Amino acid sequence: MKNKGIIIFLIVLAVVIIAVIAGDYLSGRPDKSAPNPFAYDVNDFKNVPEELIHFTESKNFKLGFEQATSITIDSDKLYVTGDKKLQVIDLSGKLLSEINLPDEPKTVEVYNDKIYVSVNNQILVYDPNGSLLNEWRNSDENSMITAISALENNVFVADAGRRKVIRYSLQGEKLTEFDGKADEGVVHGFIIPSPYFDLDINADGDLWVVNPGLHALENYTEDGNLREHWNNTTMQTEGFSGCCNPAHFTFLPDGRFVTSEKGLVRIKTYKPSGEFEGVVAAPSKFKDEGEAPDIATDSQGNIYALDFDKKMIRVFEPK
Amino acid sequence: MENNKTQNRRKFIQNGVRLSLLLSLGTVTAAALRKVTTDDYVWQIDPFECTQCGRCATDCVMKPSAVKCVHAFALCGYCDLCGGYLKPDSINRDTAAENQLCPTAAIERRFIEEPYFEYHINEDLCIGCAKCVKGCTSFGNGSMHLQIIHDICVNCNECSIARVCPSNAIKRVKASEAYLVKGDFSRKPKA
Repeated sequence: MKNKGIIIFLIVLAVVIIAVIAGDYLSGRPDKSAPNPFAYDVNDFKNVPEELIHFTESKNFKLGFEQATSITIDSDKLYVTGDKKLQVIDLSGKLLSEINLPDEPKTVEVYNDKIYVSVNNQILVYDPNGSLLNEWRNSDENSMITAISALENNVFVADAGRRKVIRYSLQGEKLTEFDGKADEGVVHGFIIPSPYFDLDINADGDLWVVNPGLHALENYTEDGNLREHWNNTTMQTEGFSGCCNPAHFTFLPDGRFVTSEKGLVRIKTYKPSGEFEGVVAAPSKFKDEGEAPDIATDSQGNIYALDFDKKMIRVFEPK
Repeated sequence: MENNKTQNRRKFIQNGVRLSLLLSLGTVTAAALRKVTTDDYVWQIDPFECTQCGRCATDCVMKPSAVKCVHAFALCGYCDLCGGYLKPDSINRDTAAENQLCPTAAIERRFIEEPYFEYHINEDLCIGCAKCVKGCTSFGNGSMHLQIIHDICVNCNECSIARVCPSNAIKRVKASEAYLVKGDFSRKPKA
């Protein structure tokens, strides 16, 4: 009888121990915890009404790069950089040629059969066969070249590190530079909190520069005089949010702006006046907190997004 | 003969004591050297692995948490529109409580020059919830990040936050390199 009591006590003790261990195992594990009471919630801004989405993803193709860095289109050929290489790809995704580069490229521009690539903040000029034609030296250790665009005898270079736009001749002679200040006494010009500083030239030959800290696109003369600008700050779909957006932009053949944003990763179009038009790709198309895709457009008005997170080029065509 | 025997015994005992003392001294010296040359380990958060899940605020045995936000000023853009300071789509860019993201108002915004602002973390108010870290990482440069503060942390054998961390961002590091502050420490490339 005495032994029976001890056995019952031991069984109860064993059950209690097992229950405690199981309870401890099941509670508090990463996948069993309560929802985050301090969640930073931007889900409301990720939802885009279907009627605002004016493009559809028609195809995509995987890149041969581990880490792609930039994309541009010239004569309906894609030029993509990354992994110390530049690849020329046709619009169906077929690799046409490849140029080895001395180091990691940052950005690329093609104009008049010359390829301008920024490598280690130097600008290397190649012909379409991959022969190095010229090398524009830049000794400023604060430089961080993030965009190049060329027209006629000018090559404009966006330097995020120095917060300046530099104008070179096609031969590489530095002609002038400007910092976006409206006047001598003005404290700030381009506000570049992070290394996103894009510029491009539209079909009319107008130079547009992003002022990312102001969420603005600014149109300058070649000497750096501000002609016009527009901006739109809001986390809502029609504007730009965060410290530095749009991260990238380009133009459709009819002069509309195409913008790509970081934070809330999305691609949108704006009319030439700056008025919001519609969405190309909503945040749901991209990885949460992913990188802002670099973008390019072809002559048909299709948009090519270089998705750094998915390592692919994604093609969006008008609906 | 008897005298020699006594002397030998005494010598033996003396030698034994000397040897014991020598061994003790050697042991103490070795222990001290070991203490000096080897490192203790403490818990720390790898900011590049952190997913800002909020559990540092809720699961630390210290109340408030030993985890605090730290600010790597070298990485900060000093933005007026700071994703770590302002609520998403805040009404205004100012210090009004309705615009502040931090639930305990632990971030101080100081004007530097137009249009730049500096953001300081008040460690006494910070609860390590990582809301600001999420905002800064998503919309800024990621200069705000979490660290375990070692004059608050009691260095539990099994860290209660590490146990529930969904990304295994909390790990043992050498006490001599107890902080993994962004800017000083960079994500090592994956092999």
